[in-house]
Amino acid sequence: MKKRVGVFVCECGTNISSVVNTVEVAEYAKSLPGVVFATNYKYMCSDPGQELIRKTIAEEGLEQVVVASCTPRMHGKTFYNATEKGGLNGYLCEMANIREQNSWVHPDKEEATAKAKDLVRMTVNKVLLNKPLEVQTIPVTKKALVIGGGIAGMQAALDIAEAGHKVILVEKEATIGGKMTQIDKTFPTMDCAA
Amino acid sequence: MVAVAQHPNIELVTLAEVTKVAGYIGNFDVTIKKKAKYVDWDLCTGCGTCWEKCPEKKLLDDFELGLGQTTAIRVAFPQAVPGKAYIDADHCRVLNDRKCGICEKLCPAEAIRFKDQDEYVTEQVGAIVMATGYDLFKWEEAYGEYGYGKYPDVISSLHFERIASAGGPTGGNIVRPSDGKVPEAVAFIKCVGSRDDTKGKSYCSRACCMYTAKHAFQVKDKLPDSESYVFYMDVRTAGKNYEEFYQRSLDAGAKYIRGRVSKIYPRGNKLVLKTEDTLLSMALEVEVDMVVLATAMVPSEGARDLARVIGFSTDKDGFFQEAHPKLQPVETFTAGVYLAGACQGPKDIPDTVAQASAAAVKVCGIFSKERLATEPLITEVDINKCSGCGFCVPVCPYKAITLEELPERGFTRLVADINSSLCQGCGACLPACRTTALNLKGFTNEQIVSEVDALCL
Repeated sequence: MKKRVGVFVCECGTNISSVVNTVEVAEYAKSLPGVVFATNYKYMCSDPGQELIRKTIAEEGLEQVVVASCTPRMHGKTFYNATEKGGLNGYLCEMANIREQNSWVHPDKEEATAKAKDLVRMTVNKVLLNKPLEVQTIPVTKKALVIGGGIAGMQAALDIAEAGHKVILVEKEATIGGKMTQIDKTFPTMDCAA
Repeated sequence: MVAVAQHPNIELVTLAEVTKVAGYIGNFDVTIKKKAKYVDWDLCTGCGTCWEKCPEKKLLDDFELGLGQTTAIRVAFPQAVPGKAYIDADHCRVLNDRKCGICEKLCPAEAIRFKDQDEYVTEQVGAIVMATGYDLFKWEEAYGEYGYGKYPDVISSLHFERIASAGGPTGGNIVRPSDGKVPEAVAFIKCVGSRDDTKGKSYCSRACCMYTAKHAFQVKDKLPDSESYVFYMDVRTAGKNYEEFYQRSLDAGAKYIRGRVSKIYPRGNKLVLKTEDTLLSMALEVEVDMVVLATAMVPSEGARDLARVIGFSTDKDGFFQEAHPKLQPVETFTAGVYLAGACQGPKDIPDTVAQASAAAVKVCGIFSKERLATEPLITEVDINKCSGCGFCVPVCPYKAITLEELPERGFTRLVADINSSLCQGCGACLPACRTTALNLKGFTNEQIVSEVDALCL
C-alpha cells in the first residue's frame, strides 16, 4: 500500500485550541514521513469537517487518514464513515485523542502542544500499518428472554410480543406482577395497582 | 398481568431462574431452572379445594409480609397469574416425611405430584431484557434507634401498602399490627436507608417522597380524626402532577415536619419519636401509635450473581450498570442485553414503564434485521505459530477461544480457534500467547510497537 497519509487536526471550538496550538500541530504533521497533507479545522465532526475529509481523500489521493480530535468512543464511527465516503476502507482511519487525553487535562499550552505532536506522530506510524478490514455478519434468533415479571418485565414483554416477536418471560416467584401486586393505590392518579 | 399470560407470543415461566447464559447478541443459549411445583399446571384449575383443606394453615404469608397467614399449598394471592396452586416444599407435611396427602386425595383434577423435581430447559434467544427489580433496604439490621425491628408497630411502607389494601390482611382498614387498634396518630419517616452514608445508601430512592405523600393522604382520607405526621429531609416531587399530589396531601391535613427522627421508644401503649423541627430550630417529642418507614430501594437479592452469570457489570451499589448514564441508559456493556426498571437504579412506575418500552424498542431494533454486523477488530490466530498450549482459553472473559484439532501431514495438532461473534477485541489473550500467534486486528503487535517507536526512537 502506498504511504499517503492525510492528517486532520480538530480545534473542537475552543475545547482543544485553547490549550493545544492546532496550527502548529498541523504544520508539524506535514513534516512526518508518509504525510502528504495536513490541516486544522474548527469542528472536524461537523458536516463541512467530514466533507473536508471526503474531498481531500479524492483530491490528494490519500491512502490513510488520521484525525486528531476527541476519543474514538465519541466520534470513531463518524470519521470511519467519512473515510468510507471518500472511497477508502473505514479501518484505514485512525484517531489521535488530543482532547480527553490532552487539552482537557493539561493546563500548560507548550507541553500540551508538544504532547499533541507526539500523539499525532504515533498515530501516523500506526496507520501506515493499518489494513482494510471487512465487517462480518451473524444470524439473529428472533426470540427474546425477559428476566423478571414485575412492571418492567411485563411491559417489555408485551411491547416485544406486540411487535410480533416471541418472548420467554422468566419469573422466580409463583406469580408475575412483582412488587406492584403488593401495592394498594398508585400516585399521582390513585388508581388500583393490580 | 392477564394480558401477559394470554398473549400468544409470550411464554410465561414462573417459579424459574436463569442459571446459565452462553453465546452472544442474536444467539444466546440460555439455561432455565424450573423449580418443582409439585402440581401439574396443565391439569390444575386453581379451584382452591387444596388450600382450603391444607392442614398447615398458620404459615407466615410472604406476600402479606408476615402480616397474614397462609397454607403449604397455595396461590401467591387471589389474583395471581398464573392462578395455579404450588406446594411450599419447606412446609408441606408430605415433603417433610410426615403423614398427610389430603390435597392429593381431594384434588378434583388429580394434579398433585409429590415426586415433582426441578427441571432444566435450554432456549435459544437473540436478546435479553433484565427486569429483576428491587428489594427494600433491611432497616432492621441498621437502625438501632428505630428498634431493630422489635417494635411491631414500626413497619415499612410496603407493610403499610398491605394494611391499606382492600385485598390485604385487614381488609383495607388502617390498624396497628400489634393489637388491631385504629391509630390516633401515624408517623411517616422518609429517607430510611436512602441519603444516609453512615447507615445506608448515599443515593435517593426517588419514589419514597411520593408514596409517603400518598400514605399520609390515605391516613387522612380513611381516618379524618387521626393525625398524619411526615418527618422529612427534603420533599422531592419532580414529576408530572407530583407537586400537585403532594399539595393535596397537605390540604388533606398531613403535617410535614422537617427533621430527622433520632430515636423511637415505647411509652405505655404508644411510641415516642424524639426529633426536631429544623425550620423552627426546636426539639420535639411526638407521641404516635404507628410508625411507617420509607426504606431505600436496593437491588433485588441475587442480582449481582445473575449479572455475573450473563456477563455484564454492576455499579457500586449493586444495581446493573448502564453503558452510558445519559446516552445509553438501557444498554449494558454486553451487546444484546438491555435493562428495564429498578434493576438499573431506583425508579417509580412511570419511569419504569418508559424504560421497559425503551428496552423493548432496542430488542425490536435487533430483530428487525436478518443478520447483524460485527466489529472486525478482533483477535486472529496465526496457525503456523500456534503451539496449542491453550493458555489463552481461560484468559478470555467472553469464552471466545477454543482449541480445535487441525489435521496436518497425517497427524492432528491443537490450535486456538476464535469465535468471531463472541470475541470483543479486548486483547486480554495477547499477553497470554507465548508464541505471539495471536494478534488483534487493528491493534496488531507490529502497530503498537510502531507507535512506541514513534514516541521513543
